Amino acid sequence: MKSLIKFTLNDEPVEHLVDNHITLLQMIREDFDLTGAKEGCGAGECGACTIIMDGKAVNACLVLGVEADGCEITTIEGLAQGSELHPLQVSFIENAALQCGYCTPGMIMTAKVLLDENPHPTVDEIKEGISGNLCRCTGYKKIIEAIQFVADNN
Amino acid sequence: MNRFDYFAPKSLKEAVDYLHEKGDNTLILNGGTDLIVRIRDCHIHPDFVMDIKKIKGLDQITFDNGRVMIGAAVTLNKLGLHEKIQKEYPFLAQAALSIGSKQVRHRATCIGNICNASPLADTATPLLALNASVHIYSRNGEKVVPLKDFFVFVRKTVLEFGDIVTGISFEEQEVLGIFNKVSRRKEVDLSTVCSTVMKINDEYRISFGAVAPRPIRLFETEILLKGKTISGDLIKEACQLAGEEVKPIDDLRATAEYRREMVRVILKNALNEWL
Amino acid sequence: MKFVGKSVKRVDGIKKVTGSLKYVDDMKLSRMLYASVKRSPHPHAKILSINVEKALALKGVKDIITGEHYKKRGGLYLEDKNFLAVGKARYRGEAIAAIVATSQEVADKARKLIDVEYEVLPAVTNAVKAMEPGSPLVHPDLGEYYWVPVFMPKPGTNISNHYTLRKGNAPEAFEQADYVVENKFYVPHVQHVPIEPHTAIAQMDVDGVCTVWASCQSPYAVRQALSEAFDIPLNKLRVLSPAVGGGFGSKAGTTLEGIIIPLAMRNPGRPIKLTYTREDEFENAYVRQGLHATIKTGVNKDGKVIAVQNEFIWDGGAYNEYGVNIAKAAGYASAGPYDIDNVWTDSYCVYTNHPVGGPYRGFGMCEIHFGIEQNLDMIAKQLGITPVEIRRINGMKPGGTTGTGEVVPVAGLQECLEQVSFDIKLNEKTEVKEEHLARGKGIACGWKAPSMPNNAASSAIIKLNEDGSAHLLVSAQDIGQGSDTVMTQIAAEVLSISPEKITIKTGDTDHTPYEWQTVASRITYSAGRAVYEAAKDAMDQLLELSQIKLGVYKRDLELRDGYVVSKIYPDKKVAIADLALGLNFEDGSAVHGPIIGRGSFIPPNIRNADKKTGLGDHPVAFWTYGVQGVEVEVNTETGKVRVVKVASCFDVGKVMNPQLLEGQIEGAIVQGMGTALFEELMLKDGKVLNPSFVDYKIPTSDDMPEMIIKFVENPEETGPFGARGVAEPAMVPSAPAIANAIYDAVGIRLNTMPLTAEKVLNAIKAKKQND
Repeated sequence: MKSLIKFTLNDEPVEHLVDNHITLLQMIREDFDLTGAKEGCGAGECGACTIIMDGKAVNACLVLGVEADGCEITTIEGLAQGSELHPLQVSFIENAALQCGYCTPGMIMTAKVLLDENPHPTVDEIKEGISGNLCRCTGYKKIIEAIQFVADNN
Repeated sequence: MNRFDYFAPKSLKEAVDYLHEKGDNTLILNGGTDLIVRIRDCHIHPDFVMDIKKIKGLDQITFDNGRVMIGAAVTLNKLGLHEKIQKEYPFLAQAALSIGSKQVRHRATCIGNICNASPLADTATPLLALNASVHIYSRNGEKVVPLKDFFVFVRKTVLEFGDIVTGISFEEQEVLGIFNKVSRRKEVDLSTVCSTVMKINDEYRISFGAVAPRPIRLFETEILLKGKTISGDLIKEACQLAGEEVKPIDDLRATAEYRREMVRVILKNALNEWL
Repeated sequence: MKFVGKSVKRVDGIKKVTGSLKYVDDMKLSRMLYASVKRSPHPHAKILSINVEKALALKGVKDIITGEHYKKRGGLYLEDKNFLAVGKARYRGEAIAAIVATSQEVADKARKLIDVEYEVLPAVTNAVKAMEPGSPLVHPDLGEYYWVPVFMPKPGTNISNHYTLRKGNAPEAFEQADYVVENKFYVPHVQHVPIEPHTAIAQMDVDGVCTVWASCQSPYAVRQALSEAFDIPLNKLRVLSPAVGGGFGSKAGTTLEGIIIPLAMRNPGRPIKLTYTREDEFENAYVRQGLHATIKTGVNKDGKVIAVQNEFIWDGGAYNEYGVNIAKAAGYASAGPYDIDNVWTDSYCVYTNHPVGGPYRGFGMCEIHFGIEQNLDMIAKQLGITPVEIRRINGMKPGGTTGTGEVVPVAGLQECLEQVSFDIKLNEKTEVKEEHLARGKGIACGWKAPSMPNNAASSAIIKLNEDGSAHLLVSAQDIGQGSDTVMTQIAAEVLSISPEKITIKTGDTDHTPYEWQTVASRITYSAGRAVYEAAKDAMDQLLELSQIKLGVYKRDLELRDGYVVSKIYPDKKVAIADLALGLNFEDGSAVHGPIIGRGSFIPPNIRNADKKTGLGDHPVAFWTYGVQGVEVEVNTETGKVRVVKVASCFDVGKVMNPQLLEGQIEGAIVQGMGTALFEELMLKDGKVLNPSFVDYKIPTSDDMPEMIIKFVENPEETGPFGARGVAEPAMVPSAPAIANAIYDAVGIRLNTMPLTAEKVLNAIKAKKQND
């Protein structure tokens, strides 16, 4: 019960024989060893598994791996260019927008799409935009500031 | 998760043929945001999963011949952010955007929300108020079922095995509508009570979710208000009646009494807009 | 200072923002096996039989164990816990059997094939009822358990600890008081909700060495517990904590590590992995104990509180090995941050057939302050004085006396009170246009001391490298709070080298030295002191060698930017790089060898309190005081409460890293708000009704209030650079401040948490009727 799928993963074309019953999250973590996206709940409630699929931020735990066929998938590992960090990654560090780091990859992917769609969001738009990513450590304030910082400086 | 076969048909005929070939332990995959969780939680164990997203034409919102048609694969974000829907039916857009998180709404569909038939389906109340109809394709051809007849009970619809919902449509109409959602938390929460109150000329259409086994219209209250001038006293009377017309239950999220009170508050505030 | 007190960037930042940090569930080891756990569906039941035949026959299943394989009990303060149930299940979800298989899928399938026969026993689901004579006993053999002597269990009952505090004579004082207010409060169970669920991997090698990788706050505590439970010598048991995705107490002590050890022991050479689901987190990990509290406060017309009497009944759940100390800590802190002459408290930790109570941020303080701070506001109202005034009169001042009779020379509470009142503009009422919205402001004070054994110890090692860089080894665990960065800053400050030149290694009991636990808000203070001492030790060695090298007397030497420099003749200097491996002489010989700085720390002079009276002159390392002020907006039609603004001020002794410290407080405020408005583990007949994010809600970004964060610095004498801990105190005033603000807005008092819309609306309506 496998399917042969072809898709783009972090700008690289891949061909993969995937178990039909596993989620996209399981596929990228176990078959591709890209463990940046995390399983926080497995039910689409926490956002820790957020990746970008055809330009949209989605919960990888709510997509079957086989549904990646023909799609462009970007994970946190695809954001930095070599050791050159993405402006959001730099800003998160500069603005102390992370603590334990577990929600961070998902949060950054959501923030990236948010800024791609709306380069100059208001604070309220940011607050709403990342409301699908739970964080228990930071209280969100510095995350919002970090995203604002990138919007203001790019 | 149990193992299953996966198939993505390219046409409705191919889809229906596959269903009948594989039998009734075949589930239809659309947005997947509900289905995949239920498979993970071992509430369902399909042998076959059929993905309808590759069928052409299901992901469109069209305005044709005086009818608005929302295709089965239209995501909640696509519906909620659609310019014309936002302009002419803002309450429908708001309802769509009130569900889940942004990430969920990029996958979840309006049709999926309807077909799950949860008593608190947020897109149900605006569509019920708009007198929408569900389009169903099967071996026997196409049929159209009014949404108010589509819901049978909690998580139960008139759909039979072999049916594929292709979309939901409603007549283009000039309306004023207010969507409301009472929930514990502002974002990413199930409705404690949800509602659409619509005014079309001198007629009112009042729909509530999470106050009965299915999303419902409050027909008695609508009759009370029809054709009358809105006054403070009429609003009081209508709210009283509405509170009696609904049949909420106690559950984890709220008590029946609180839900009844929210019905009264929501209706009062909506009608006050048009006072 | 160059580094301490500055917002040095997180040293673990890059790994976290790129997703390259490997948390335990990210680890894939060669020939790894996967575990699944069969759990009890009953809150209280005798285990009659466990049939594993069908499960063992499933292809891919390697092994199955039950509690019968390893029966030794363990526990941190009271040894009442087994990793797998022995004889009976004491909570719904207790582990009965553990399966290991070649894939998670197979392990989960096998779990369903295990047949367990139970004899259901009557369940104890209310802590107050559990104390009544005739209640079914959760631990009938309590008398046979070992416990740390400071605790007082009552064998033959469900009481695992009865702490008493008898300062002065409260009953007599009540007779004298002008006003007495007595109220009951109930705080339900909540869960920590770290975004990373618990995970562990264990591997036993053929030579008898066992390695455990666990997402845990305290690798040494895990090592100790496992060593005792499974008779593995400490030098053959290695525990690593490579990364922790949030703890908040849930990953203190041990949770699931012991389940996989026997599987590892029986399958040498195979790593065994167990990862909790989110549902497991709510049902089968530590939860915050529920509290039934009765608080009686007696006050005189002049505003002086002269007596307090408390009864705290803690719903400790099925195992109270950790919870007994929460009852104790709440007991000795029960006066709150106030100078009161007569304080009588009885704090009971009680067994029930509920999920296991354990350490949660605040360790009892959040729960008791919900009652203490509301009672105080009610008293103020009766006296006709403001909430600030009553706290000005009774709040701790330097030189004041605590509830246990300890005189505290330092107490920044009053300064925090003034700062917060100012920042939240307490005396100004915000006008709102909408009729159905009401605004209100409230404040609450809070305090906490680290609740730990008197001899809880920290240690650190610094190794200098021959290029002038250094390695810092500690077992303080960065669970998000930023300890890796702050420890680095301390070492950098003392050694006078840039933090970038120091690499910190943590969480490996084979390589990093002992740390009691990363809990109790003790790491900056205790591990920080150990790091300070280690750096001073390295510095000392450097100065010793430099004396010889430079011919300058030690007292005239100092470290500056990677050099040992003469204070008087700055040209006389030697690079620490050149001394790192010893001192070389011109004749080719060398002395001393590598510079290894060593630091060990136990907070000085923490003495046991009197067992009967609870009185003690120095029972804790330090107290941290703070105040929060909150503005809320209440929708009087729906009852919904929105937290608009929070002002916070804590006396932290020394702000080690402003940015990281702010982040901690901000997180604590939002977590406190979550417990105040949304969070409750809904229990019915021992079952958790809402074990998922669908119905257990924590705040999202859209719930975040405006936050004003300030600090006061009255140095803690024994802390590094004067610092004391604030990780937990930061959350203590949040919920009561919200409750007090709601009162200001709509005149209603809510004595149970969470303050849901429905509760608020019902109270508003009831008030309307009564008025």
